[in-house]
Amino acid sequence: METLGFLMEGFAVALTPYNLMFALLGAFVGTLIGCLPGLGPANGVAIMIPLAFTLGLPPETAMILLTSVYAGAMYGGRISSILLNIPGDEPAMMTCLDGYPMAQKGRAADALAISAIASFTGGLIGTIGLIMLAPILAKFALTFGPAEYFALFMLAFATLGGITGKNPMKTVIAATLGIMISTVGIDIATGTQRYTFGVLELYEGIDFILAIVGLFAISELLFFVEARIGGGRKKMNVGKITLSFKELVSTIPTQFRGGVLGFIAGVLPGAGASLGSFISYTLEKQVLGKKGTFGEGDIRGVAAPEAGNNGASSGALVPMLTLGVPGSGTTAVLLAMLISLNITPGPLMFTQHADIVWGVIAALLIGNVLLLIINIPLVGFFVRLLSVPPMYLLPIVTMVAFVGVYSISHSTFDLYFMVAFGVGGYFLRKLEIPLVPIILGLLLGPEMEKNLGHALILSDGDWTVLWSSPLAIGFWAVAGLGLVLPTLVGPILRRRMHAAMKESPVSD
Amino acid sequence: MTGAGDRILGLGLLVLAVAYGWAAQQWPEPFGGAEGVGPETFPTILSVVLVAGSLYLMIKPDPDARWPVGKSALELAISVVVLVVYTMLLEPLGFVISTTLAVGTLSWRMGGTPLTAFMTGLISAVVVFVLFNYGLGLSLPGGLLEVN
Repeated sequence: METLGFLMEGFAVALTPYNLMFALLGAFVGTLIGCLPGLGPANGVAIMIPLAFTLGLPPETAMILLTSVYAGAMYGGRISSILLNIPGDEPAMMTCLDGYPMAQKGRAADALAISAIASFTGGLIGTIGLIMLAPILAKFALTFGPAEYFALFMLAFATLGGITGKNPMKTVIAATLGIMISTVGIDIATGTQRYTFGVLELYEGIDFILAIVGLFAISELLFFVEARIGGGRKKMNVGKITLSFKELVSTIPTQFRGGVLGFIAGVLPGAGASLGSFISYTLEKQVLGKKGTFGEGDIRGVAAPEAGNNGASSGALVPMLTLGVPGSGTTAVLLAMLISLNITPGPLMFTQHADIVWGVIAALLIGNVLLLIINIPLVGFFVRLLSVPPMYLLPIVTMVAFVGVYSISHSTFDLYFMVAFGVGGYFLRKLEIPLVPIILGLLLGPEMEKNLGHALILSDGDWTVLWSSPLAIGFWAVAGLGLVLPTLVGPILRRRMHAAMKESPVSD
Repeated sequence: MTGAGDRILGLGLLVLAVAYGWAAQQWPEPFGGAEGVGPETFPTILSVVLVAGSLYLMIKPDPDARWPVGKSALELAISVVVLVVYTMLLEPLGFVISTTLAVGTLSWRMGGTPLTAFMTGLISAVVVFVLFNYGLGLSLPGGLLEVN
C-alpha cells in the first residue's frame, strides 16, 4: 500500500517532539476557541495565522498547529451547547437538543464525556475517509486542465452558500467583491498596475491575512458591542461521571453512522458540518424511533450530531487539500495559511509537498487522540472558562489580532486596513452579505484569473473552451444547481432545522 | 421603506462596479501588443457580474436588518474610534501604554467597571509584551517606556 507508506512518513513528521508539542498546543487552544463565547472556529484559526508566522514555524509545523486548532474548535463547540443550551458554533446546534436536557437532569458530565468520545469516533472515521479518498481524488484532479479548474472554482463559489443558505445572489455579490479585492496590485501576467492609485503599499496587493482577521475578529467585536452582551454567565456545575460501560457500548453504532454521514456531508460541496450534524441526528432519530427518548436527553442524541460534525470537519479537508478549493469558512482560512506559506494547494501538493500533506493528516489522527485525552480530565477547566465575560475577553482577543498583524510587517498601515475591513465586515454582516465567499474570492481570485488566462491562450481566445469538456460541463451544471437549489429546497430545510429546535420541550 | 438597506448597498455596489469596470478599460496596452486576454479581461467580467448583482439587490431587496440607533450606535462609533486611535498611538506611546488604554476603554464601554477594565488592559498588555519580546523574540514597540 502506497498510501500507508506515505502515512507512516506523515507520522514520522508529526511525531517529532517539536511538532507534537505544537499539535498539543493547537488542540488545547482550539478547544478554548470552540468553547469561548464570541470566537468561532474560522475567527480563531484566522487569529492564529499571523501568530504562526511570527513564531517562524516551518511550514509543516505551522499547518499541524492550525489543523489541530481546527479539530479542537469542533470539540469545544459542544461544551456550551450542553451546559448552556447555546451552541458554541453553528454545527454544535444539534447537540443542544439532547445535551441540554441531559445537563438539566444532572448528567452534564456524562453528556460531556459521551460527546467527547463521539467527537473522537467521528473525527477518526472522517480522517480515515480522508486518507482513503484524498489520494484518489488528487490523482483524478491531475487530469484537470485550466478550463476545468475555472469551472471548479465557479462550483466552489456557487455551492459555498450551502443548501441552507439564504439569498444566493448575496453569495455571488460577496464572492465578486472578494475577487475584486484580489485584483488590486500588479498583474502577474503583464505587470500592469491595477487599482493601486500609486500607493506603494498596494503594489503587492492586499494581504488576505489582514483582510481575514479584520473581517472576522473586528466585526465580531463590533457585534458584541452592539448587542451589549458583555456580562458573563453564571458558573456551571458539572457533577460526576455516572456513565456506564453498557451505555457507552450502546452508542457505538450511532457514533459510527454519524461519523460516516458527517464525512460524506463534509466532502460534498455545499453541505458542510452543520448539515452533517443535522442529518446524523435526524437519521438516528428515524432509525431508533420509538426506542429512543430523543429530545429528552438521550445519550445517542448527543453522540450522533457530535460524531457527525467531527466527521464533517475532516471531510471538509478533502476538497481543500486535493483541489485547493475549500468548502467551508474554516478550511478557507487554512487555505490562506497554505498560500501564504508559498505552497500551491491542489493535486500537485500530494507529490511536491507530501511531507506537509501527510504530516497534517497524521497530525489530525494524533490530534484526535490528544483531544480525547485533554478533554475528559480538563473539562472542568474549559467549563470555568465559559463564565469569562466577553467584555474582558473580546478586547483582549482583538488586541492579540492587532499584535499578530503588526508583527508580520511592523507597519501601522496594515492595522488601519484591518480596522477598515472590520468596519466593512460589520456592515456587510448586517446586510446579510456572507463573509466567507469574500475570503474565498480573495484567496482564489488570482488562481481563477490565471486559469482563465491559460485556458483562453490554449484555445486561441475561444471562450467556448470553458465549457467544452464533459467534466467542465458537469461542474457548471452543479454550480448552477448550487445557486438554484437553495431558493427551492433551502426554505424547507431551514424550517425543518428550526422545527427540530422548537420540538425539544425544554429549549427556551 | 422596507429594504432600504439593500437598496442603498445595491446603489453603492453599482457605482463601485461601474468605476471598477471603467478603470479597467483605461490601462495602457501591455508591452507586446494586445492579446486575447489582457489585464483588463478578468476585471471587466467581474464588473459585469457585480452590476447584475447590484441591480438585483435594488429590484428585489431583502427586509431590513435592525440598525443600531442612539446609544448603541454611539458605542459602536466609540469602539471604532478606539481602534483607530490605538493604531495611531501604538508606535509613539509604545505597546504597553496604548494597549492598556485601548483594551481598558473597550472593556469599560462593554460594561466592565473602570478599575477592572483598565487592570485587565494593563495585565494583558504586560503579559503579551513580555511573552512576545522575551519569549518569542519579536519586537513590539516600547515607546515611552523604552530604556535606552
